[in-house]
Parts: sequence; C-alpha cells; structure tokens
Amino acid sequence: MYGYLLRRSLGAVIVMWAVATLVFFMLRIVPGDPFAAMLADAGDMEAVEALRRKFGLDQPMYVQYVKWFANALQGDFGTSIYGARVPVQQLLLEALPRTLSLASLSFVIALVIAVPAGLIAATRRNTAWDHGVTVFAFLGLSMPDFWLAILLIVFLAVNISWLPAIGYEPLSAGFWPWLSHLILPAIAVGTGFSAIIARMIRSSMLEVLKTDYMRVAQAKGLRQSALILRHALPNALIPVVTVIGIAFALLMSGAVVVENVFSIKGLGRLLIQGILNRDYPVVQGAILVVSAIFVLSNLLVDMLYSVIDPRIRYDT
Amino acid sequence: MTQHASVPAEEFMPRRVTGWGRFGRLVMADKKALVGLVLLSIFVFAAVFGPLISPHDPNDMAFDMILGPSLAHPLGTDDLGRDLLSRLIVGTQVSLFVGISTVALALVLGVTLGVLAGYFGGWVDHVVMRYIDLQWAFPNFIIAVYLVAVLGTGLVNVIVAISLAFVDDFARIARGMVLSIKEEQYVAAARTVGASDFRIMWRHILPNATAPIIVQATVSVSYAILGEASLSFLGLGVEASTPTWGLILSESRSFISRAWWLGIFPGLAIMLTVLSINFLGDALRDFLDVRESRDY
Amino acid sequence: MKKKTTPLTDRQRAQIDADLAAAYDFDPRDPLFGLNREQMSGPRLKRRTVLRLMAASGTLTAAQLLPGMGAVKPAAAAGHGGGTLTCGWSGVAEIQTLDPAQINQVLQFQISSNVLGGLMHINADLVAEGNLAESWSVSDDGTEYTMKLREGITFHNGDSFDADDVLFTYQRSKDPNQSIHARVLNNVAALEKVDAYTVRFKLKQAQASFLTKALERSSGRAMTIVSRGALESMSPSQYGLMPVGTGPFRVTFHELGQGVVLERFDDYYDPERPKLDKVIIKPISAAEPLAAAMEAGDIQLIGGNPIAPELIDRFLENPDLVVDEKPAPGFQSLWMNPWHEHMKVTDFDKPMEELMKEKGFKVRLAIAKALDRDRYLKQAQFGRGTAAYGTINPAMGYYFDEALAETSAQRFDLEEARRLMADAGYPDGEGFPTLKLITTPSGRRESQVVASILKRNLNIDVELLTKEFSVGIEDFDTMNWDLRRAGSGGDYDPDDGLVDWMQSSSKFNGRKRDESKYPFGYFSEKEADALIDEQSATADIEKRRELVQKANKITSDKVACAFLFHPANILVHHKSVNYPAVSRIPGLVDLDRVTLS
Repeated sequence: MYGYLLRRSLGAVIVMWAVATLVFFMLRIVPGDPFAAMLADAGDMEAVEALRRKFGLDQPMYVQYVKWFANALQGDFGTSIYGARVPVQQLLLEALPRTLSLASLSFVIALVIAVPAGLIAATRRNTAWDHGVTVFAFLGLSMPDFWLAILLIVFLAVNISWLPAIGYEPLSAGFWPWLSHLILPAIAVGTGFSAIIARMIRSSMLEVLKTDYMRVAQAKGLRQSALILRHALPNALIPVVTVIGIAFALLMSGAVVVENVFSIKGLGRLLIQGILNRDYPVVQGAILVVSAIFVLSNLLVDMLYSVIDPRIRYDT
Repeated sequence: MTQHASVPAEEFMPRRVTGWGRFGRLVMADKKALVGLVLLSIFVFAAVFGPLISPHDPNDMAFDMILGPSLAHPLGTDDLGRDLLSRLIVGTQVSLFVGISTVALALVLGVTLGVLAGYFGGWVDHVVMRYIDLQWAFPNFIIAVYLVAVLGTGLVNVIVAISLAFVDDFARIARGMVLSIKEEQYVAAARTVGASDFRIMWRHILPNATAPIIVQATVSVSYAILGEASLSFLGLGVEASTPTWGLILSESRSFISRAWWLGIFPGLAIMLTVLSINFLGDALRDFLDVRESRDY
Repeated sequence: MKKKTTPLTDRQRAQIDADLAAAYDFDPRDPLFGLNREQMSGPRLKRRTVLRLMAASGTLTAAQLLPGMGAVKPAAAAGHGGGTLTCGWSGVAEIQTLDPAQINQVLQFQISSNVLGGLMHINADLVAEGNLAESWSVSDDGTEYTMKLREGITFHNGDSFDADDVLFTYQRSKDPNQSIHARVLNNVAALEKVDAYTVRFKLKQAQASFLTKALERSSGRAMTIVSRGALESMSPSQYGLMPVGTGPFRVTFHELGQGVVLERFDDYYDPERPKLDKVIIKPISAAEPLAAAMEAGDIQLIGGNPIAPELIDRFLENPDLVVDEKPAPGFQSLWMNPWHEHMKVTDFDKPMEELMKEKGFKVRLAIAKALDRDRYLKQAQFGRGTAAYGTINPAMGYYFDEALAETSAQRFDLEEARRLMADAGYPDGEGFPTLKLITTPSGRRESQVVASILKRNLNIDVELLTKEFSVGIEDFDTMNWDLRRAGSGGDYDPDDGLVDWMQSSSKFNGRKRDESKYPFGYFSEKEADALIDEQSATADIEKRRELVQKANKITSDKVACAFLFHPANILVHHKSVNYPAVSRIPGLVDLDRVTLS
C-alpha cells in the first residue's frame, strides 16, 4: 500500500513537471508580444527592450527555463506582466478559494439533484418518472453550461433580480453574500454533472437491487424506504465515489467557462484572461495549479476507492 | 485502476460490426434514437444545403435591428439587423464540420498510436502509454484550452486543439483492442502464412476493433461540438466573420433580456445537435454492446 | 462629516455679471480676442483667458460662472457630505494598476485621478489649471516654466509634499525602465529645484501642450506625483494596487477582479473636499449585469470603458437615472496599409492632383468616401457620437473643425466612391481581393458594421481577425495587416491627436516595421509633419488653431486613414448622486465634489 502510494505520488509529480515544461516551451514558440501592448501608449522600443531584460525574455530559452524552474520550486512563479505586475502566486492564492468555493457548491447542488433523481428512476423503473430522469440526464449532458449560465443571469438575475448577476464575495464578507453570489454559477456548473451522477446512481442501484442480500432483506420484510435508504443506497454509492475524480475534472472544466460568464476571478478566468493577453507567467501558474488539482484529486480518489471497496488492493 | 469509469480496455471483446439493418430496426423502435435521427437529419440537411435554403445573406445587415420572430424572419433579426435563421444555418455547417473533422483527425492519430503501441509492445508501447497517461489525467476540454493557449485561436487551431485533446481516448481503446485480439488464433494464423505486420493490423485486427471505436467517435463528435461552442464563446475560437453558435451567443449576450430569441435559438441549436448525437450514440452503444465510453 | 451649503451672495452675483461682461468684451474681428501671450500663463490671467475663449466660441453662459462651476473656485456643491458611493467600472474585469508610471488605460486614470495629484489638472473645458502647482510663469521664449508649489500638502502616509517630490517623480518618470510614459518628458531638458516650493522646467523647445500633456495629473500621467516614502517601503506591485498620493481619496482595499475601495483623505489640502466618505469601485465586464446592477441600485454610477451603446437608450428610459452626454476626447478610424498591393501609396508628398492619378490612392479614397458614417453611427453606436474626418475631436472645442465634414476629400459620396473604384480597375469590386480587418474582441461588433458597409457600398469582401489588443498591436507595429480598426481616447490636446498619430515619427506609425522595406508606416507627409511641429511650439492659441486645422485637413484629404467617428462620453448615474458640472471632465470621473442626497 505504501509502496503504491509512493509510486503514485512520484507519478503525480512527474505529470506536473511534464505539463509545466511542455507549456513553458510551447508558450514561448508562439507569436504575440505582451510588452508591445503594455507600451502601446509610450511607444518606446527602448522601454520594450528594458522590460524584456527585466523579465529575462532576452535570454536563451533554456536559461529562462532553468531560472523559472528553480524559482517555481520555491513557490515563486514570477509576476504578471501587466499593470501592477502582481506576483502570480498572489493571484493564484486569491483565485483558488473562489474556484474551490464554486466547485464545492456545484458538487453539492449536483448531488442534491442527482441522488433523488437516480433513486426515483431506479426504484420506479420504466415508469414516466424513470423516463423523465433519463430525458433530464440527456438534456443536462447536452446543454452547454455557458448557455445555462447566460439564461440564469438574464432571466433570474437581471429580469427578476433574485440573486446577484455576477461577481464573488469572500466568505469573510458573510455567509449569505458568499452563497448568493455562487448559487447561479453553481447551478450552471452542477446541472450537467448531476446528469452523469443521476445516470450512474440509477444503474448501480439497479445492480444492487438485483443482489441476493437485497432479496433476503426484502424477504425479511423490511420497509421499502428503509431498505432503499439504509441498505441499497450506501452500496449503490460505492461506484459513484469512483467518479468523484471525474467530478472534479468536470466541475473544473465547467468552472473555467462559467467563471468567465459570471466574472468570478477564479482559476478559470485567470487562465483564459492570461491566454487572451499572452501573460505567460499567469498562464503558466494557472495551468500548473489547475493541473495539480486534477493530479491530486485523481490520487485522492484512488486512495478513497481502496478504503471504500475492500476488493481493491494495491499490493502489486 | 484509474478514476475513470471506462472498463479496462482488455475486457472489450472483439466483435465485427455487422447487421446494420438490425440497427435500423432498433432505431425505429427506440423513441430516443428516432428523435435523435430526425433531429440530426434536419441539422445535416441544413448544413449540406445551407446556401440553398438560407433565406438571406447571413452577414448582410439589411434589416431592422432586433426584430422578433416573424414570417419574414422566422427566428428574428439580431442586434445588427441580420437574419438569425440564416446565421444559425451557417453555424450548423461550422459546428458539424468541426465536430466531424476533429473526430476524424483524433481517430486517425489515436488509433494509429494505439494500434502501434498494442501491436509492437516494448518501448513503443511504453512511450505511447506514458503520453496517454499524461493526457488522461486531464479533462478533454481543459486540454483543448491548454492547446489553444499555445497554438492561438482560429478555426484550424481549434480543430487541431480539440482533436489532439481526444487522441488519448482513441489510442487507449485501440491499444486495448489490439492487445486482446493479437493473441487470437486467426492472427497467429495470418502471421504463420507470412502476412506483414501492416497487413495483419489493417486486415485482421482493425476490423475487429471497430465497435468501441465507433461508439467513442460518435460521443466525441458531440463533445467536439460543445467544445468548439465553448471556446468560441470564450473568445478562443473561430473568427468573427464566421457565425458559429458559440460566437453568436457570446455576441448577443447583452441583448438577450430585450430579445429572447437571440439567447434561446443559438443555445437550442447547440443543445439539440448534441442531444441528437447523444441519443444515437446511446442506441449505438446498446447495439454494439460497448459498455462504456468517455463521457466528457 | 461636513454639511454645508452656501447660498449665492450678492458679491458672487456681481462677480458673475462682471466676469460675463469682461469675457464678452472683445472685438469679434480681433483674431486674438484681445489676448496676448503673457495672458496665457499664470493662474489668474488664465481664468480670464479661458472665459474669453469660451465667450469667443459662444459656449460661455452664466451657469458656468456659478460657484462650483467652470473655472471659478468652488464654494460648495449641492447635497450633503458623507456617505458611500458604489460605482461599476464598465467593460473591464479588473483594474490592472493605479501606478501612474504603468497606467495605459483611461479607466485606470479615472480612478488614479481621485487618488493622486499632479502639478496641473485639466478642468471641464479641457484647460489645464493648477493642482499641486499654485501658480506658474512662462519665459518669453516659452521654454522655461517656473512653478510655485502649494504648501502644506501631505501624502496619504503623512509625508509632506515639496519640490523634492517633484524631482523624485521626474527622475522616476523619465526613466523608461520605470515608466512607460518616459517619452512624454522627452522635450524636458532639465528640472531644477529653485527652493523647497519652487521648481523650474527647462524645455528643449517651446511646447504649447506642455501644461496639459506633460504636467497634467490624469491624461499626461508622467508628472503625476508619487510618494517617495511609500515607494521605498512598498513593493512595486503593492504600490501599483494601492498607490499613495496627495489626492482627495486614499486606496484602502484593492484586489484584482474584486475591486477598489477609496476612503476620504482627511488631510486633503482643500478642506471642502472630498465630500464622500467612501467610494467602492467594482469592475463589471459584461453589459447585461452592468445594466442590472444599475437598475437594481446596487451601483449608483458607471465609470470605466465606454458603456455599451445598446444600454444607453435603456438607461434613458429609466426615470431614476441621469444620462449625461458630452463629446469624448478621441477618434476612431479604419486604417489601410499603404504597402498593400491594392491600396499602395509609397509617397504622400505629392499634390492631390498627382495622388489622384494613382490606383492605390483611388482605392483608399474610395474606401474612405464609401464609409457611410451616419449608417455606421446608427447601427454600431445606436446613434451616438460624431462623424469623424480627422484626429482633432469635438471635445477640444476650440480646435475642432466643424467644416471639415463638408470640405474633406473623405466626405461621404457613394457615387464618387464607386467611380473611383472603377477607375482603379475594380468596377463593382470586381477583381479586388478580400481584405483582412484586425480588430479587438470589444471592437468586434462594430467592425462587422464596417465590413458590412464596405461589402454593400463597394462590394469589397472584408474578413475579420479578432485579436486581443496585445497581440494585434504587434501586427500593426510591423505593418503586417491589411485593415485595422483602431483609434484613441484621452486626446485632450491637439498634440495627442496629431503628434501621437499623424507625423512620420508618430509612435504608432509602423514602430517595428522593416525600414529597408517600408520607409514609413501607415502615413508620412512632409507638410503635415512641419505644420504639426510648428503648432506644437506655438503658444498663440489662434495661430495654433489655424496650424492644427490645416494639418488635420491634410491628413484627412490625403487619407492617412479613413476616419470613422468621435465617440460620445456618457456618464450615467443615479438621481441621488449629485455630480457637479465642474467635475464633469470628459473621460474622467472625478469624485471629489460629488455628493449623495
């Protein structure tokens, strides 16, 4: 087990290194000079060159890479090349809680929708309920999250003013301000994901209900609701746990898009803005952190899975 | 074991795809699949005959701005006085083109990699698998965003980015299929009669690996369409002269509360296309008895 | 909290009458309106000069002489002091910096203008008046400016302000490693400290725009006074987010993407200002949520980038909102690459008749003449803004040439444009290649209108290429483009429009081009170059106007670019916000006199 853990962690580190290195070099091959833009107002080539020197862009690529790597190991990702040139790690630290808040709330919303939907579909198989859930699941999978986000903004926030249309308030500003800013984006992210979970719960519930021990429990005369909630559901959730990794993947890719619609400056917005502006240090930092989240969640889920499902062992 | 829901590829059983007539009957019997087929036919028709059936020039700002749906403009006009239906028809062409071309590219690249890795094993397999594992750790959309970050925007770059993001899915399936097939007797038989490696792969292994690849390709088309729409919406996609669905939505954002049709129809177009492909993909999955494919 | 309203005294009333009488007391035939060069310097005469010039152009009314208005020292504005004003900053996701050495966007100096001070500050008529400088004098040859600094001023961190701070700022600003505005100070030979509260600028040559362009705290930025003490104790990025200055408000919070919070600076030199206790600034990039926040009362004032034109009518319909429209100081145009095979003009130094014989020039003129500016304004800007034929904008009032719309060779004339295209060998656009138009994401919508007009009027196909400003400017600098939609805002002085854009040496004129291939970038004309140099060094306002308009007309006739429009500057705020006219400087959002009721 520990050997496995060690190997997986090492693998995770290598993946992160590979991603960072690939991105570092690929970003520098493509055209587009951010310094020219910054100095558009000054129009001074000397100043452009001075800045290039300052950011080390005049040096050979491998020198830049070694320096960047050495700094990154110490948690120094450089500074944004625009405006106040805020350190990238500061930007990332500000963005991280926003994205994690959004992802967590989306996850909660997804479960709130998916668990009852999946249960109903499984226990009332082939009824209108079941078909309804199936159709919902397909719609959820097919609906672009940014479209849902726009519709939520226009019809719930703008026309009815129920909830704030955009932005983010930290938890330190109060629970309701934090929650109210996140509800709509979380629905936009969570809906598509809930479709997948609902389908998964449905099929794993069906499997569980077919098992012998459920039949036995049924024969013992347990009440249907107790049977489902206390015995079937926990077992049916085991395979669902395995998709928490996918959950994070999906929630993160959803968040990348939806943060941009709701002007929440999380990791996704940081990444997209960085790309559009060719702000190398920011793009690099954002990709590294987003990647780290995936790699870590993959690792965590594998661990979790081995704990929950005793059939799986990592002794090889 | 990875976190992914897909069944380890080794479990796939080789299976030649036959009996399309039976599939046709299956579609007719399955309401979802039938709806999918009808919807998709409409979109394909619109894409193929776009210029012929398009009521107006999609870029001509000839009309009053922000007109609601009417007989002259069934889906209304946009904020610059262009006919929305005509623009959505062009969008259909782009979406389906991106969807099909990205998946074709991903399929060729991925299957080639996968077959080579599975067939030759050894260091080839090792290198390919390390690459696939690297990409497998991330959702396809994020990879597409990373790639657009380094490639830049524009139609070609978007197609390249999305297809590269899908390569690992196909490579993984193809490799798994090859591994399970290459020990089969008929492959061994082909080898003993002196068939070349290429011939064995092309004539004996590939045809037996098509079922899961077809299912994966179908699902991938719908995700490629969604991916292109999302990238265009974020400003990372195709150019403004090309009215794609994602771009139309992003451009009309600030008019939606006054002109609901500008928000509803482009979104519906994306959703219905993706939905129809998903419906068909589902039927296909049942028909070909492929248990899982990557769903994101 | 100060609560004070002062009714007009008899003395003030008499003053207004006297001012009006004095202002209009000139012979209309006198080109100098009875003013001379000496009257153009120093603070007291300055005011008289301004009033006289306003009267001459027919824009002076008694309302502008009310206390708190125009050039008159304000006593008090309506409404009480105190309170919190929440503003939305439109079309922007974050305020990247407030450090004057790094500021390159109007929406940034709209905020820094409330936080930092400069030696000068432009007023609502775009004329520079003293800010940290109390008074100043100009030498006879116009090359020495001696500035007397205001005493008793403190920075937000408690440091006091004196000549050394001006010197420190000067050293920092002229260093291209530290400031992106170093070029603005190129004409300054030296800055001397005369005593603790007097400094002297020595210029290389006379410069009419010196007060406005170099010393102004907002649009010039170069001599916006920064705090020595704060820069020593803060990291550059900290200072960029929360600069320490001498302005009426101090920054107490700033997180990128989240917003800026300003609080009143109790030791501001004018005890009457600021009125508000607190200002919250939230960046809101999308139009729809911006409108929603305004309508719901979550924000009470909109600053930042120009408000999406489609929202203005919606705001006008709302009785709770005030929509105040003024000409904005800027121009927007369609640039045509003169090195493109089908639009080629390799030498603009020819008389018009000669140029008119060239195929490439015919095409350029045809495109400029085919741009139906009325249609463009209606479709792209929902009817707001003014058709443009040159860089000199209507906000510059005195220098703006209204007649140019009729006299310019670029005047809209579809038949003539089509004839020119046919003459050039492209009847009805036949044989003319598809042109690529580079635009920014925010310019995408209106660039489509440009493309549609060219298609409709000349049958020219235009394909859009959307590039983020940072990426597109690279193509523009290397002359790697066919067409480009670009222009400028924050042009307060003719130099901003002419020196920055229309000279052979202008900063955007093919800055990184291959000079062996392209002797100039987009435009180069000797006569215009000379006129622009001359107007720059001319202090006589009437003479300068003549030179400015002449240069402007040349760039228009010879199609340096196809000029499109001068934007409108629209300030939208809630009825409860009292925004006095004296603070209504186009392009800026000065909040020091704003009150809430």
